[in-house]
Amino acid sequence: MSNPIALLGRTAQYVLLSFAAFISIFPFFWMAVGATNTSPDIVRGKATPGSALLTNIVTFFTSEDLPRVLFNSFFIAGVGTVLTLLVSSLAGYGFEIFRSRVREKVFGGMLLMLSIPFAALMIPLFVMMANLKLINTYQAIILPTVASIFIIFYFRQATKAFPTELRDAARIDGLKEWQIFLHVYMPVMRSTYAAATIIVFMTHWNNYLWPLIVLQTNDMKVLTLVVASLTSAYNPNYGTVMVGAIVATLPTLVIFFLLQRRFVEGMLGAVK
Amino acid sequence: MSSIALRWRRTLAVALTGVSLFSVTAASAAEITVWCWDPNFNGATMEEAFSRYQAEHPDDTINVVIFDKAAMEQKLQAQLASGTTEGLPDIVLIEDYRAQKYLQSFPGAFEPLNDHVDYSTFAPYKVELATVNGQTYSLPFDSGVTGYFYRSDLMEEAGYTAEDLENITWDRLIEIGVDVKEKTGETLLPIDPNEAGWLRIMMQSAGTWYFDAEGNATIVDNPAIKAALETYQRLAAADISKPVSGWTEYTGSFTSGDTISTYSGVWMTATIKSNPDQSGNWGVAPIPRLDGIESSVNASNLGGSSWYVLSSAPQKDMAIDFLAEIWGKDVDFYQKILVDQGALGSLMAAREGEAYQASDEFFGGQPVWQNFSTWLSEIPSVNYGIFTEEADAAVVAQIPAITGGGNIDEIIAAIDAQVRQQIQ
Repeated sequence: MSNPIALLGRTAQYVLLSFAAFISIFPFFWMAVGATNTSPDIVRGKATPGSALLTNIVTFFTSEDLPRVLFNSFFIAGVGTVLTLLVSSLAGYGFEIFRSRVREKVFGGMLLMLSIPFAALMIPLFVMMANLKLINTYQAIILPTVASIFIIFYFRQATKAFPTELRDAARIDGLKEWQIFLHVYMPVMRSTYAAATIIVFMTHWNNYLWPLIVLQTNDMKVLTLVVASLTSAYNPNYGTVMVGAIVATLPTLVIFFLLQRRFVEGMLGAVK
Repeated sequence: MSSIALRWRRTLAVALTGVSLFSVTAASAAEITVWCWDPNFNGATMEEAFSRYQAEHPDDTINVVIFDKAAMEQKLQAQLASGTTEGLPDIVLIEDYRAQKYLQSFPGAFEPLNDHVDYSTFAPYKVELATVNGQTYSLPFDSGVTGYFYRSDLMEEAGYTAEDLENITWDRLIEIGVDVKEKTGETLLPIDPNEAGWLRIMMQSAGTWYFDAEGNATIVDNPAIKAALETYQRLAAADISKPVSGWTEYTGSFTSGDTISTYSGVWMTATIKSNPDQSGNWGVAPIPRLDGIESSVNASNLGGSSWYVLSSAPQKDMAIDFLAEIWGKDVDFYQKILVDQGALGSLMAAREGEAYQASDEFFGGQPVWQNFSTWLSEIPSVNYGIFTEEADAAVVAQIPAITGGGNIDEIIAAIDAQVRQQIQ
């Protein structure tokens, strides 16, 4: 224990880790301190707490119909996450359990589609939504994300660890295929679901480009659009922007801490 | 049974009458939708304009939707490119530098307003930039008429008064900067090496641009551009500027006192006045002109934007009528937005109003707005073309070479080559 070389190594380790922790925590610190300062103070680089927190909060909460905006964001992220998990996990399960040569080809084709950037899909998708009369609706944002190739892939990989014995036993007990999925697969894979929840919720919550294109009116705006429009002014109020950034960050943080243990399990593999 | 059915039928009839009544009121009261990007500036002026229109049309309403500026442009572009007009607003704000890009890329998407607006009452350069084939599409809004903003108290310390900064050339300004630094140790200007606004200011002051009226590149053999690049090189070499990165650092530099002046559009006034403790310590002079270029005047432009009506607008007639009645004529309205939002419109008649005549204590009692509107009328017209952004990028790519003391002719050739490659 008292070996000086080991001690030195340990010290270097901690110094390095502290440095890394500082780098990753500083933006959050800056955001929190900024929320308490006035805009000119933030521009000057003041890194100590100020007294403008209340003003900033009031300005932010009166700048738009915030309850409505928060509802929009939560509704889209919530419904979107549930639907995405349901559809994509079902697909991932199906691809792994019911294999065939054709399905493998379909799956390979889907993986290829992952490489198409969204910017290339944006305009055709917009035309499609316009033809379906879905512009400026929740469906326009939620529907295109429900079948997420990445999440399907993720569930397929996780399903590889799902023991076939469990499925066979369930079959012998007389469960139908959908009952196996619902009553055996889903409970066993809950860590995978937890990890996927964080990923999907974050994607929906942070989604910016597509809502920007497809949402048209103030009462449909989501939080990302509101925070972005705060910075667009010729003379932006950075204190208010920081309050907006905190409000936008909190839900993801809360969900992450709630599901943290499961998230790590899910990343390591759900079934032990 | 039959009484229940009857009750239901009656309810239904009442409900239907209600619905039809509602739709009748909906038909007479219209709502126009406007897209813009600053709630405190263009958004607020739009609300004010409409409240005046409402006095005559009490049933009509406005819906101002604020987006991030770059985002709004992306949104508009995507939607125009998709060919679906559903969801597009009635009126949209477009930055002047991009006007030609939209007008030429999407012919028929915007409505010409020549039959409704008397364009001779607006600053000529604002009208020119929104004109394609003799049709003008914009209702000119805020101008980016430039000025040289300086800390009068610190300039005075070095022995310079407001008169010393009137009608000077850029080279004279460099001399003053060197002298100020010697006497007081203060740094004259912040300079952002990722930004080409200085060149746009210098070019337009000489009535030239990257492109001619037909859209051909005019970068090589353009004496004004050559003089501008040489001036910038001298400015960088004189050690009177502080390099900054990005907008926040740039504005922070002169509001905090790190540097003592900047050249910018009139819209910078609000940023400068956001520090009330510096009241009385600022002055505004006309922008310097280029040395040795005869066409160069002490007036130019940086930025600015205008309102456009979309041809597909659901309330097109009302949108045009509103713009023409309030934005096109109402001198009082322009006084109000000047005082409340610091918005300097482009309607020349507005300058005779009270607010324009007033002096500003923040700027030591100068009649700042009167001055700006005088310079506004002197801005040379140029054709911004559709590739200003691409040309800007080509210039920014060469800024290290310029400040590093490179050969200007070679630099111009490099800029020209990059621009030609991009616009093919």
